[in-house]
Formats: sequence, C-alpha cells, structure tokens
Amino acid sequence: MTGALALHRAEVVRHLVRRDFRLRYHDSTLGLAWSLLLPLTQLAVLVFLFQRVVPLGIDGYPAFVFSALLPWTWFSACLAGAGTLFLGNRDLVRRPDFDPFVIVVVSTLSNLLGYLVGVPILLAVCAAYGAALTPALLALPGLLLIEGALILGLSLVVATLNVFYRDVQHIVGVALTLLFYLTPVFYRGAEAGERAQILFTLSPIAVLVQAHRAIVFRGELPGAGALAVASLTSLLVCGFGYALYRRQRHDIVDAI
Amino acid sequence: MAVVIAVEGVTKRFRVRSNRPRTLRESASQWLSGRLGDIDTVTALEDVSFTVERGESLGIVGHNGAGKSTLLRLLCGVGLPTMGRINRSGHVSGLLELGGAFHLDLSGRDNVVTAGVLSGLTEREARARVGAVAAFAELDDVIDHPVRTYSSGMYLRLAFSVALQFEPEILVIDEVLAVGDSRFQEKCLEHVRRLRAAGSTLVVASHIPEQIKSLCDEVLVLEDGRVAARDEPERALEHYFELMNARTARRAKAIGGQATTSEPSEGTRSGTQEVTVDAVRVTAGDGRERAVRGGEAVTIELDYRFAQPLPDFGLSLGVYSAAHVKCWEVMLPSAVARFGPLGDHGTIRCTMPGLPLLPGRYYVNVGVYPPDCDFVYDYHWQMHPLTVVSVTEGVAGVSGVVALEPAWSLTAAAQAGRRTGDG
Repeated sequence: MTGALALHRAEVVRHLVRRDFRLRYHDSTLGLAWSLLLPLTQLAVLVFLFQRVVPLGIDGYPAFVFSALLPWTWFSACLAGAGTLFLGNRDLVRRPDFDPFVIVVVSTLSNLLGYLVGVPILLAVCAAYGAALTPALLALPGLLLIEGALILGLSLVVATLNVFYRDVQHIVGVALTLLFYLTPVFYRGAEAGERAQILFTLSPIAVLVQAHRAIVFRGELPGAGALAVASLTSLLVCGFGYALYRRQRHDIVDAI
Repeated sequence: MAVVIAVEGVTKRFRVRSNRPRTLRESASQWLSGRLGDIDTVTALEDVSFTVERGESLGIVGHNGAGKSTLLRLLCGVGLPTMGRINRSGHVSGLLELGGAFHLDLSGRDNVVTAGVLSGLTEREARARVGAVAAFAELDDVIDHPVRTYSSGMYLRLAFSVALQFEPEILVIDEVLAVGDSRFQEKCLEHVRRLRAAGSTLVVASHIPEQIKSLCDEVLVLEDGRVAARDEPERALEHYFELMNARTARRAKAIGGQATTSEPSEGTRSGTQEVTVDAVRVTAGDGRERAVRGGEAVTIELDYRFAQPLPDFGLSLGVYSAAHVKCWEVMLPSAVARFGPLGDHGTIRCTMPGLPLLPGRYYVNVGVYPPDCDFVYDYHWQMHPLTVVSVTEGVAGVSGVVALEPAWSLTAAAQAGRRTGDG
C-alpha cells in the first residue's frame, strides 16, 4: 500500500515537472535550449569582461567561470521563481488532498533538468581548456544533493512568506543580484583576502559553487571542512523551511 | 453502513485583520509599536457535527454566508478546521468555487491529465481518459486550446467533466449546478445519479430546492455557521424556507418597512418590498384578460419596480393548482443576465405558446429575490388566478392537472385457456 503510494507520488512529481516545462517553454521554438541561453550569454559577457577588459589572469577562464556558473544558475533560477510557486499554481494548491510542498520539489527538480542539460557542454568546455575527467566527478551527485536541500529550504521560505508579504519576491530579486557578486563565480575566492574567507565559508552557496569548480575544472575533491559546514547549514535551512511551511500550510490555502 | 465522512465539532474561523499588514514594512512597524493590528475573526462554522455514510447523498442548504462553501472546502481537505476534526475515507473529487480549477495557460488536455494524475491515475491512464472527458464536456475540437480561450460555459463544462469522469468515491459539489445551460445540467445530474447508483457518496450544496430534492436522501440546513436541522429533503427545505421568511421579516424591520405579510383579497403577499411586483396580468391569445382554453397561448406580464436602487433581482414564476400542486415553475437567478439593464421599473413578459392544463382554477405565483436568494423582496402566493376552461365539452373521467392527448389501442392476446386446452 505504501509502496503504491510512493510510486504514485513519483508519478505526480514526474507529471508536474513535465507540466512545468510545458508552461515555461510552450510556444517557444528553442524550448529547453532557453534554460542554457542565460548562463551561456552570461558566460560570454563575463569572459569578455575579465579576459579582455579587466584581465584577471586566470588560466582556462571560460571553463573556470562556467564550472561555477552552472550550479549557481540552478540556485538562482529556483529562487527567482520561488515567490510565485504557490500564488501561481492556485489550481494545484486548492486541489483536494494535494500537498503544495510538492510544487516546491517540482520547481527544484525542473530547474535541475536545466542544469543537467548544461553538464555535457560544461564537460566539453573543460576538456577544451585541458581539464581532465577524474574520479572526483563521482562526488558530484552528493554535491547536488546538498545544493538541492539548500534550494528546497530557501524556496519553501520564499514561497511561503510571499503568500503573506508580496515584497518578499522583490527582496529576493535584489538579494540574488547582490549575492551573485558576493559569490566566487567569476573570480577566485582566495584573492579576496583573509577576512573575506569567512564570508565564503559561511555562505553555503559560495562553498558549493567552489566545490563544484574543484571537482569539474580542477578534477580534485573539495576541502572537507568547508563542505561539512555548508552541508550542515543546508540541512538546517531545509529543516527550517519545511517547519515554517508546515506551520503556515493551512493559512496558505486560506489566503490563496 | 460504513461512515465515510465524520465531522466532529468543527469550527472554522478566519482571521480578518482590519488593518492587516500588506507589506513587511507595515508588519514591522506594527510589531515595533507593539500592536499587531486589530485581529477580527470571522466565524464561518461553529461546532458543526455530522456523518455521511457510504453511498449516501447529503444536500446542504443555507443562506449566503451560512458557511456552505467553507464546509465543503474543509470536507475536501482544502484548509484545516480551527477546532474539531474531519475524518474522511476514500478519494474525494471536489467542484468548489469555479475560479482556479485549471491553469489558464495550459490546454484543456494538459489540465485534464493533471487532474487525472492528481486523482490517482498514472499519466498514461489519464491521457487515455482525455477523449472521454472532452466528449462529455462537448469540447472535442478545442481540447488542445489553452483554457484561457474558453468561455465561462466551456470552462464549467470541463470542470464538471473532470470532476465526474475520474470516478470519485466521494463527490463534493458546491452550487455550480446552478450555472450552465439546462441541457448540460441535466446531463450532469444524470451522471451524478449514475455515480450514486454505483455507490459513490455525494455532498452537494445548492440553492435550487428541486435539485436538492432529486439528488439527496437527507438535507443539512446551515444557518449562520451552525447546523439548524438535518432531515429528509421535504421537511428540511420547509425548515429552510421558514428561516428564510424569518430573515425576510427581520430585514424588513431593519430597513424600516411596514408589515411584510399582507393579506390581499386573495392569497398572501410577503417580502421586504425593496423590489415590488405591482401588477400581474394573465392574458389569453387575443390579449384579453379572461379564462383561457386548454392548449391556448397565454402571456403572463408582471410590472416590477425598484423601491431601492438595487442592481439586479432573481425571479420565480410558477403555475400552481388551487390545491397548491406545483404544475410548473421556473427560477431565473439574475434578471440582468436574462434581460439586460432593468431600469427603475418595467414589465417582464412570459409567453407560453400553449398551456397544456386540464380545465380548472390555477394561480400564477411570482416572486422577486436578491440574486443569492437569501430572503424575499416580494412574493405573490395564490394571488393571481388563471382559469382554464375546456374546449371540447365533457371529456368524461379525466382528472389531474396536465392535458395529455392519449391515443388508445388494444392488442389482445389469444385466450390462455383455449391454447393450452388441447395439450
């Protein structure tokens, strides 16, 4: 019985991910390619800026940037859309016996697909700049799991609060723009000096994108210490987000 | 019989903050100044308890704001009661408020598949059912268009089809049977009856007594969020109408009207008189007010007048026998929707090409109501006689109200005794 239930849950998630894709890319010829276009243009601009205009002197710069930009894009795309997850899916939220939590899971997974589509391109770019595929890549799924927990937790907070305070989605928009510059995506974290290291250790997304770069671009395992802190923070955020959502769940339904 | 829905002491309050913070800034400043807004709670349901057994059909009636919709939502598991418990076993399919049943940017097909998957099917199974759902909704040719492009009637048909086609164990319907064209309505009612026969449990809220009577075994009367009565339909509806009359009287008093129930020369008249029916004329085919012959065309005219500036009214028009048997009645929930702008007074005309009634004395009963039918503006009961006389003299042995024109014949069987006699 519980097996059948779990199987059906998976079916619901699968269907809703597909529905999410259809909603996002219906009537567009490029479809899924759009989810790559943003990070690729961003990559082009960053490469132009920091290889030509203000050279940072980093070897294999395009691969260096892209190997951190891809996990960042997963994170920021999820959070940018988190505000309207409950408000924009009224038909699901008000369906009998439907747990709106599923919508947040679906958003996280559906953006993960955008990431996965980018992985072959990332590997190709890395190979073009002389990075070798190493067994360190096997750690990637674990890394994605941690990032997924972080995204899920933050998305739950944003989606829940935005039902009651519409400012939240605007605050998130601004915060994401600022956070992009405060996260070592297009520069080396180490170059920011001793003091800033605390920031890059405490911000789980900074740790995660750097770990991602270490695995894919440099082919080595990331430092365990910072990653352990980031994992713990991510799990706490996830737990907090879920608890907040649980507490507000029925008020959400009433408010929508 | 197994209980499938058990509602125990359910109370539902909504927080309505009169100065509810809409933004974080307001919220923060309220919090800092130590007053968290004046929280008004609105009690939608108060200590409601009842059970529904498998295969039973429960109707819910009550005035606007009595808590019907809130109750149905809670039955569907949309929201939690503030106090009390609701236990439900079985998959539920709900037709709650009309808005928001579908995602407008997706096609009808995609929405149907989503609904199917959420009601327990696999995506493949749900896809296989789309054809049947579209056919029932009569939307085969537009099922791949986005729901955004549907008219409200099409939207409603799709919502109904979806709710009915995925074989719910418990079907919860809120009021929506009142909308849509009558042919589709009848088709839905037919399907609901079939589901019932197949053992589904039904909970339905409706303003239309006839629907409640034809669908339900028992009726729950809600009044101001409490259960006022639970009874078999006839008696429950009587109770409901008594409550409605009491409300009319209270309201008439509140708006400073005079005695609400007057005794005209014939019949009774009641209501708040915010909208009045000043005259009713029943004329025969030649435009004269006289006795009509059975089968002859009849026109009923009624003059209405707005005593208060109101936007709309509901209208009922019925023909009853002198012995209070309802021969026919129609309810129009919105005169504006039916006729367009109403002015401050006017005449509504209803022409019937032929009146298939047997000779006798009948009455035209008319009523005007607010659109939600919470109380009565003006109701004329057995005030306007309609006399039907016979065309052909002396058809012996006929009784009843409807003039049917039977054709008789006989097919006689061979006498049983004679055939078996030689065996």
